[in-house]
Amino acid sequence: MEYLFQFVVAAVSTLCFGITFQVPRRHLLACGIGGGIAWLCYVLCLALGLSPAMATFAAALPLTLACRLFAIRFRAPVTLFLLCGIFPLVPGAGIYYTAYYFLQGAGQQMADKGFETAKIAIALALGIALVSSLPLPRHRRARPAGPRNAGENP
Amino acid sequence: MAVSETGRKPRPTPMAGTGYRRALMLVIDAGSTLLENGGEVFRVQQTMQIMADSLGITDFNVYVLANGIFVSSHGRTEIRHVPATAIHLGRVEAVNELSRELAAGRLDLAGAEARLAEIRAVPSRRAAALAAASAAGSACFAYLFGGFLAEAVVALAAGAAESLLVQLCRKKRISRIFSDILSAAAGTTVALFCRAVLLPELDADTAIIGALMVLTPGVSLTMGVRDIINADYLSGAIRLLDAILVAGCLACGVGLAYTAAFALREVL
Repeated sequence: MEYLFQFVVAAVSTLCFGITFQVPRRHLLACGIGGGIAWLCYVLCLALGLSPAMATFAAALPLTLACRLFAIRFRAPVTLFLLCGIFPLVPGAGIYYTAYYFLQGAGQQMADKGFETAKIAIALALGIALVSSLPLPRHRRARPAGPRNAGENP
Repeated sequence: MAVSETGRKPRPTPMAGTGYRRALMLVIDAGSTLLENGGEVFRVQQTMQIMADSLGITDFNVYVLANGIFVSSHGRTEIRHVPATAIHLGRVEAVNELSRELAAGRLDLAGAEARLAEIRAVPSRRAAALAAASAAGSACFAYLFGGFLAEAVVALAAGAAESLLVQLCRKKRISRIFSDILSAAAGTTVALFCRAVLLPELDADTAIIGALMVLTPGVSLTMGVRDIINADYLSGAIRLLDAILVAGCLACGVGLAYTAAFALREVL
């Protein structure tokens, strides 16, 4: 139940980011679901005892896959879903704590946080890269004209 | 005209004169629309190639960078500088659809030109709507990062302030670096002010992180990775550098606000 609520909140926040990136209204829900999936995987992986960087990597995989499936299903660029869905995983907290410890003069903690932030960003990048380069069946996208447009050209 | 009235797949025919020039301009305009609204380099390149093929432009060579387009065809060379502006994914999708219809032969040159003009005129959502969305997003993130109602409400206010500031800076053409530092500082100030004056037991860290998510360089990071995957290393490197720079700016902004708050506390 708690996880369901987290999923919904993450989906709503991703949807809000979709609005700021001017995603058309008909795709907003898919964007939100992508973000929800990413956050849910991240939280579950943390609960399983993975490190934040590993959890981010593990969450980026289903996220990217979902975005690619959405892209095929809705015949829209993958960027539309990926740019928004990625946000729950971006290490905003890492950036903040790095700056915070820097000001506190806590060099060791700052270095730790900065390193972890970089690790999370790299894990995120790797996760996206891995699934993006995975070959997917493309026959649906390759079909020249969908049946919904069949009547347009007599 | 390259597009026949009946066939769905017209055979590309070389064209000459104004039709050729118009077609070339259309392809370049479509490419810059994609690029400035948040399309990846490889998508811009591919879309322009597809459009050129279906309009019958032969000898079409295109090279796209993160902020520029170079096209040459039959001795004519066009260069466009496309500075990054606000992201508008709706337009990216629309141009994508346009190129698909062009390739399927359902649009002719004039139709495509009209459609592109339409796409470029698609309005952005109003400033108030964007601010509301980023405020709501910030509040949700504050909750996800372990905050409760107070943190979410403060993040809501901070997120709205950041969004309005970013939009103001964009309208006044103030540099991204400065606007990022300023917005991060403003968001942090709002949260610290709320803790100092209204809610002493507020977990300011969580509220600030929630509000900071609006500004994080998620877009540059994702696009940079996607460019590198598609072997556009130069554009990818530019975008990743941008991501690092923005992250540094956010840290500076947070630091600035904290330093000011510490100084103020000493004085009072």
